[in-house]
Amino acid sequence: MKTRFLPPRSSSRAGVVAVAAILAITAVSISVAAQQRLNKRYPAGQNVRIELRNISGTIIVESWNKNEIRLSATIESKGTTVTPRQINESFVVDVMSDNRGRGDVGDINFKLQVPVNSSIDLETRRGDIKVADIRSGLVRAHVSSEGDIELTNVSALHVIAQNVIGNIFFDGEFSRGGTYEFKSNKGDITIRIPGDSAFRLVAASPARRIALNDFWNNNFKTQDGRKYVGDVGDGRSSVSVTNFSGQITFMRR
Amino acid sequence: MNCETCQELIHDLIDGSITERDEFTLNTHLKECLDCHGVRQDLASIVGFCRTQRGQYEAPPNEQAMWLRIRNVIEAELPNRVVANTESKPSFLARLMGRSWELSLPQLAASTVAIVLLVSLVTVVGLRRFGGYGVQQNPAPQTEASNINDRIFQRRQVIDYWNQRVELNKARWSPQMRAKFDLSLKSIDEAISISMDELSRNPHDEISEQMLNESLDYKLTLLKDFSDL
Repeated sequence: MKTRFLPPRSSSRAGVVAVAAILAITAVSISVAAQQRLNKRYPAGQNVRIELRNISGTIIVESWNKNEIRLSATIESKGTTVTPRQINESFVVDVMSDNRGRGDVGDINFKLQVPVNSSIDLETRRGDIKVADIRSGLVRAHVSSEGDIELTNVSALHVIAQNVIGNIFFDGEFSRGGTYEFKSNKGDITIRIPGDSAFRLVAASPARRIALNDFWNNNFKTQDGRKYVGDVGDGRSSVSVTNFSGQITFMRR
Repeated sequence: MNCETCQELIHDLIDGSITERDEFTLNTHLKECLDCHGVRQDLASIVGFCRTQRGQYEAPPNEQAMWLRIRNVIEAELPNRVVANTESKPSFLARLMGRSWELSLPQLAASTVAIVLLVSLVTVVGLRRFGGYGVQQNPAPQTEASNINDRIFQRRQVIDYWNQRVELNKARWSPQMRAKFDLSLKSIDEAISISMDELSRNPHDEISEQMLNESLDYKLTLLKDFSDL
């Protein structure tokens, strides 16, 4: 039996690769070990109000067919506190208050499952927000800096979606007498609604990138393409869309 | 000294009961005031005439009856004179104009300074309110531009306050958080700059003004949100 030895140069390269692999595995292990997971259920009424104030990370809110709230969270930094509170008909998670004085506490990714009629009020300094399948009085999503906002199958009386950088996507219905406000400084805003939607629209984009598509009619007044004001149908709800440098698009559902 | 006091002192002078100090003051005034000087001469000549003619005039035949008639005439005329005085009461302006003024040098200087200050104040207020120097060729855009600048200045003061608070805490943030914040701030500042440029070209542009306000709101919200981090 012949034994082959690697030449000295190949041997040292293999050694470096092996050490790097070990270090990478160790780092991942430490990271996983450092992460905390939170998984809790809370009883709730049908019209509960959800308030979540995050600093950094993703927020996902979905409805389910139960009168309870399920909170799942992945907490990146050790020692970060998350203390949900139930006050009357409100369920409040305030990461900022829970960790006051600690500065940036790293990412916390939330997933909430809530009753379908819950009012939703979400804020984060950075990170994406997704809300799906909600029918209620309020859906508010506010990203202080960068993060996409996605509101899917949402029917609420008042909807507010605002970010500085990132796309906003709304897929839902406008209720009679409702108000809908979408604002982004740098990002596309896409609104997908039923063809028979009726609303009064004020849309402004200095970049002149407004596409009303099927919702365009001759009653719209425009100021050199930067702003459109007009009624679609009987204008029973009020829609305001402002975008500084991205595209505003209306689509038929 | 005013003329009223002077004429009272003239009586004392002619009677010989005036003090030395009053006499000096009176003579000083008489040298300056022709009216009072005339009064003194008239009075002196009357008194002098009376003195020279003393004992040379004939007494009236019924002296008592004459004095009685004089008194009756005086009493009959007195109420009419009082009524006439109240009816012909001089106006404030007439009294002001008819009044003699005597001011010392410090009082005169103080009055002059007060008048100069008042005139200056009125001039400055007038210039500010009604446009000031010369005819402006196109005042409306300038005014609007200055209004916008004023508003921006006020907003920027608030923004500066929150910016200082952010800067205090920024060191505690993670690099990722700092990067996202800086990126967002840069994006908003770009939007503000674009709106300002448009407004400098067209101060009447409502959309640019709306966008500018929105951008400043954005900036303020961003700073407030990050200030307590």
